[in-house]
Amino acid sequence: MREVDCTGKTSREINQEIRQLVSDGEQEIVVLRPQARHNLAVAILQPVKLVFEGSVGYYCAGMVDGPSVEIRGSAGWGVAEGMMSGTVIVTQNAGNSAAASIRGGTVVVRGSVGARAGIAMKGGTLIIQGNCGYMTGFMMQKGTIIVCGDAEEALGDSIYEGRIFVGGNIAELGNDAVIQELTPEDHNFLASTLARYGITSAYPFKKIVAGGRLWRFDKKEFETWREAL
Amino acid sequence: MCGIVGFLDKSGNRQAPVGQVLLNMLTALGRRGPDSAGVALYGDHGDSRLVVRVKLGEPGLCDAQGTQVTERVKATARVIEASVRGEYLRLVVDDQGDLTSLERAIEATGEDIEVVSMGRRLEVVKQVGSPENLELTYGISSFVGTHGLGHTRMSTESRVDLSHSQPFWAHGLPDVAVVHNGHITNYHKLRRRYEQQGYRFYTENDSEIIGVYLAQQMSRGASFAAALRSSLRDFDGSFSYLAATADSLGFVKDPFAFKPLVVTETSSYVALATEEIALQTALGGDFPVWEPGVKQVQTWQVEERLAA
Repeated sequence: MREVDCTGKTSREINQEIRQLVSDGEQEIVVLRPQARHNLAVAILQPVKLVFEGSVGYYCAGMVDGPSVEIRGSAGWGVAEGMMSGTVIVTQNAGNSAAASIRGGTVVVRGSVGARAGIAMKGGTLIIQGNCGYMTGFMMQKGTIIVCGDAEEALGDSIYEGRIFVGGNIAELGNDAVIQELTPEDHNFLASTLARYGITSAYPFKKIVAGGRLWRFDKKEFETWREAL
Repeated sequence: MCGIVGFLDKSGNRQAPVGQVLLNMLTALGRRGPDSAGVALYGDHGDSRLVVRVKLGEPGLCDAQGTQVTERVKATARVIEASVRGEYLRLVVDDQGDLTSLERAIEATGEDIEVVSMGRRLEVVKQVGSPENLELTYGISSFVGTHGLGHTRMSTESRVDLSHSQPFWAHGLPDVAVVHNGHITNYHKLRRRYEQQGYRFYTENDSEIIGVYLAQQMSRGASFAAALRSSLRDFDGSFSYLAATADSLGFVKDPFAFKPLVVTETSSYVALATEEIALQTALGGDFPVWEPGVKQVQTWQVEERLAA
């Protein structure tokens, strides 16, 4: 295990230090005093373990492929954006656009998230133990979002594919987001996925998927489109 | 892109290091807005006294203009202190309640002369350049008080000068100031309406409308919190904005969460900033931070201590 102390360093210097340790074959790196700096640990493509002892800023662990990242604090906008595979765990809250456009891997936020979490997701899993903000899952295309708490307005707006599970209250569904019965497979998936991250409480999950009305344009449904756009 | 910050000491301590905290927060956000920097500071200037900050005109003529304005004010109010620093004249006068006449009298001295703030607690200090330069010119770090706001500006639509910088004082209403990150898209429509009602606009910065709006709502009897809430209905566009009065601080977040804002609250203070890096740099340590949801409005009050 090696430590990187952020004191007095820029994001670029910290990232270069992390990359050097990774290319030296280091398996576990602890980053001290990140003080919410932006763009930390972006584009790490090796299966290393990275621990941030404190809050991080925007786009932490963006575009990564394979690492296991733990943020002991909160995260700013766009945590794990564009992730291909790996795990990112945030022990407190995250800002807007958590797990935006991820294609694989798992993002776990122990607290709550801001607006548009899981926007344009193309795979992978986003677990939010607290509440989620406005327009969560906006235009998601694949993958799964699990929200244990409540969801703000416009949940799953213009969703193409994929599924969202919500354990608490839903303030309002977005355009073309519909509630569907959970299958036995869904129940098994939820139980096993949540247990893997130590979440054992049973939630009365609702499942939200695409209604399919916005998949193709139909002049007869012009009113639906006008509202969606 | 701009950076906004706010800090309030909940204990009612009137000697909290507000200037230093705001400066540290603004410095951390400096790269979000290199055009100008400013603060709204709430201190204790004694009862029945009004602090007036006046932007003077030409550099080099500031001392002469300062004297001219001071003489003019002396005709209507007792001047307790008068000093010129940088581009500003700072006056402490007996508060006679009629802000508008005093403001008109001062501004009648010359075309470039503008009252930047008035209040029993409030002082607005802003200029073109970085937060570091604001400190070099005005030494804001030594300011103590109860709460304050700060802004670093990246201009997108209007001129870069002192007047167009933020915070904006809500002209006519003592002690109310705002800082805004975003864009009020129905600005022109609202401005025309207010101009018809006789409100004066000093700039072409859309953020100025927030101060005018709050001044109108609150002078009609709306509470601070109610005025903030109704602004959600009346403003279009993207906005995270902070506003403050003599004894409170609040935020408003737009209906689409277009603009960032994080909040932290401990038993002793409330701090808000565009990015957490400002909170970590200024206040360091382990505190919970969250991003408010859409259409959220929240206010905090300074605890009033019994007179010691």
